[in-house]
Amino acid sequence: MTAEDPVVRVSDISKSFGGAVALRDVSLELFSGEVHALMGMNGAGKSTLVRILSGAQNADSGVMEIGGTAAGQLTARKARKLGIATVPQRRELVMTLTVAENIMLGDLPTRTSLVRWKPVRQLARQALRDLGIDVDVDALAGDLTVAEQTMVEVAREVRRGGRVLILDEPTACLGAEAAAQIHALVGRLCEAGVAVVFISHHIAEVLALADRITVLRDGRVVWGGQAKETDEAGLVRSMVGRDVVSTKPPRSIKKEQIGLRISDVGEGRFIEDFSVEVRQGEVVAVLGPAGDAQSRLFDLLSGRRRPDRGRLEVNGRHVRFGKVGRSLSSGLRCVTGDRRRLGLIPELTVDENLMLARDRLDRRRLHRRDRLARRAAPLRDDYRVVTLTPNPPVGLLSGGNQQKVLLAKWLGTEPVACLLEDPTNGVDIAAMADIHTLVDGLAAAGVAVLLASSDADEVMRLADRVVVVRDGRTIAEYDIDRISRDELVAVALGGAIS
Amino acid sequence: MTTTLTAPAVPTRRRVLPRGFAHGGLLLVLVAIIVFASLRTDAFLSTNNLLNVLRQVSVVAVIAAGLTLLMTAGGMDFSMGGNVAVTTAVAAQLFAHGQSIWLTVVVSIALATVIGLVNGAVVTFTGVAPFVATLATATLLDGVALLVINGLSVSIDDQLSALGIGKTFGLPNLLIVAIAVLAVTAFVMRYTTFGRDAFAIGGNEDVARLSGITVARDKLLLYGLAGALSGLAGIMLLARLGASSPGTGGLQLQLTAVAAVVIGGTSLAGGKGTVFGTVLGVLLLGVVANVLNLLQINSYYQQISVGAVLLIAAVANLLQRRRH
Repeated sequence: MTAEDPVVRVSDISKSFGGAVALRDVSLELFSGEVHALMGMNGAGKSTLVRILSGAQNADSGVMEIGGTAAGQLTARKARKLGIATVPQRRELVMTLTVAENIMLGDLPTRTSLVRWKPVRQLARQALRDLGIDVDVDALAGDLTVAEQTMVEVAREVRRGGRVLILDEPTACLGAEAAAQIHALVGRLCEAGVAVVFISHHIAEVLALADRITVLRDGRVVWGGQAKETDEAGLVRSMVGRDVVSTKPPRSIKKEQIGLRISDVGEGRFIEDFSVEVRQGEVVAVLGPAGDAQSRLFDLLSGRRRPDRGRLEVNGRHVRFGKVGRSLSSGLRCVTGDRRRLGLIPELTVDENLMLARDRLDRRRLHRRDRLARRAAPLRDDYRVVTLTPNPPVGLLSGGNQQKVLLAKWLGTEPVACLLEDPTNGVDIAAMADIHTLVDGLAAAGVAVLLASSDADEVMRLADRVVVVRDGRTIAEYDIDRISRDELVAVALGGAIS
Repeated sequence: MTTTLTAPAVPTRRRVLPRGFAHGGLLLVLVAIIVFASLRTDAFLSTNNLLNVLRQVSVVAVIAAGLTLLMTAGGMDFSMGGNVAVTTAVAAQLFAHGQSIWLTVVVSIALATVIGLVNGAVVTFTGVAPFVATLATATLLDGVALLVINGLSVSIDDQLSALGIGKTFGLPNLLIVAIAVLAVTAFVMRYTTFGRDAFAIGGNEDVARLSGITVARDKLLLYGLAGALSGLAGIMLLARLGASSPGTGGLQLQLTAVAAVVIGGTSLAGGKGTVFGTVLGVLLLGVVANVLNLLQINSYYQQISVGAVLLIAAVANLLQRRRH
């Protein structure tokens, strides 16, 4: 596409931490107006590479050239000055300030050191308009959707002179509609001549969006080239190093007993008359756009919130809403999709997090580290939690491993019924296959599994039945073998039911 | 430490070094001050002086122990000093009215526990920030204490002298009580589910609640415990001073305890804390005060020096942690 020189050229970069090699002889070229996708499993070295590109860390060896001249020792400040900007996975906006202030942060137009508010809003509006972003500059950043926050952050970086923009999993927690907004934005960035580094686990997304792809595995570049030269199977093989098969096993639902019944639940305008029944050994998915009714289920079923009305039964027994203890003692286990906020305690060790719920359910009084480790060991094995040191704080693990710890924490407690909210959120493809197998195992063991998801592919892979929700209402329900993936997506996006 | 490995173990530096090394910076400051003191004055290293220092820090140590556990759980109690003031005042009046030692001690500690529970109830059930709620009760309690002794000094003669100046096997009884409290607290934090609940609640209260931890009950218990330990500290202080006077206990004592706990590396945000660190913090503050006294330094400079040491210790602590 371009015969010109790359904006950034990285040659033979290596980096290690202590004894562990994070990157080995990695080379990479970024061109303006191109989307360069960076792929790889959790721990493959993507984050390290991003930190080196953005000046947060320096490589042990290798050369980095920006605009044709060697960059030498980069710092974060210097990298930004040279036009390299990062939009990290976690939003870096001041949530209590307006969009305009956030965009102009650190560069507020002033006169005699007083802020001039009119140009603040004008310049911010201009920055958004240039990228075709439709967000109110007077809205508080905290009131925006995640996709809008991401777009505001992109606009801020471009306004600050970002010519190379690193987007770290910008679509990780988004539904299809919101992801499409981000994709459109990436397209406009390219038209504006920005070089975009796009990090994502979604293979289909990358193939549709990227011009070039670099795949990392164990710190090395295992594949690099034009996106059109590869396909889904090829990418998976490069990332994982083997073929990953995640096929749905035949499921024989023998039990007729209802494991989980939710009837006539309503909560404000978020959920209206939601009902679903899950038999023992069955997986039922609730599919909707991110943030819709299915995202409310966790709060309701875990006992964090009490709905306005409705009834919950686990194995035929009525469970009162609004009490965490009641929910737990009924045998219902709720696995959050927000593991940072509601899932794990980052300062505590892997073992302690694994046993956090189990030990409380057992009413254990004493705590011995050696015995804790012995009790946690089978969970670590079953859920393939991999750690470099024996028992680090869980916050130091990769996202995929944290997710496995979270699942193990809850599913290792002999659930009768469980709610899984986006169980493969932000995990790599191998971990995803592991997690899918775990869910199959749960169903085979007779657990009633309710899956809250915004990912149609995951629903097709895991569910026996699917309930589609939109704007808080149930709009359709299907046996999964009576509908194709594309039909399901169409229904979820609001298409007519054929 | 554990035997479960799912990946080849990479030996980390942290595992090889002894446990106290996590507080290396603090230890270094403490040792430096001790060396400096023993070079400057012979009196410092005498058995008498050392025992005296330990006797003096015992009261702060008991308060700091309770505070360590509470702050690890993300709580805070600024009223412990005020609670001490009320306890000493009430106990002194009970003695003055001829009540027996046992009755006095039991009533005082029970009262202190109730005060702690009230704090806990306010914080747990209204959601007022612990800092604000307990600062309010602190002021309130300081006033109550003055009211109880009517602004005058109330002497208890030698009724508690067995605790105040008595010794067992050459160690001051006050010190023995403090060591017992610290040891039990350390045990609770490390080896009981209740202690681990405190870490979990301080780390992330929502996760703790969802994991089946009875957060409200635990928090009430923790504040009640802080109250009970304030009561014990009050009795100890009364035993040492032999009288309750205006200004006994109160905010000054409270701030010393908070400083000791924070210097010891317990996080103000919760989720992190060790009794060992708190012990170092308590010792550091006690030793500095003692050294300044021995060197007969003007009391204005004493205050300045204590502040400076606080700052240095806090920075040393942070630098130490950043390297890990």
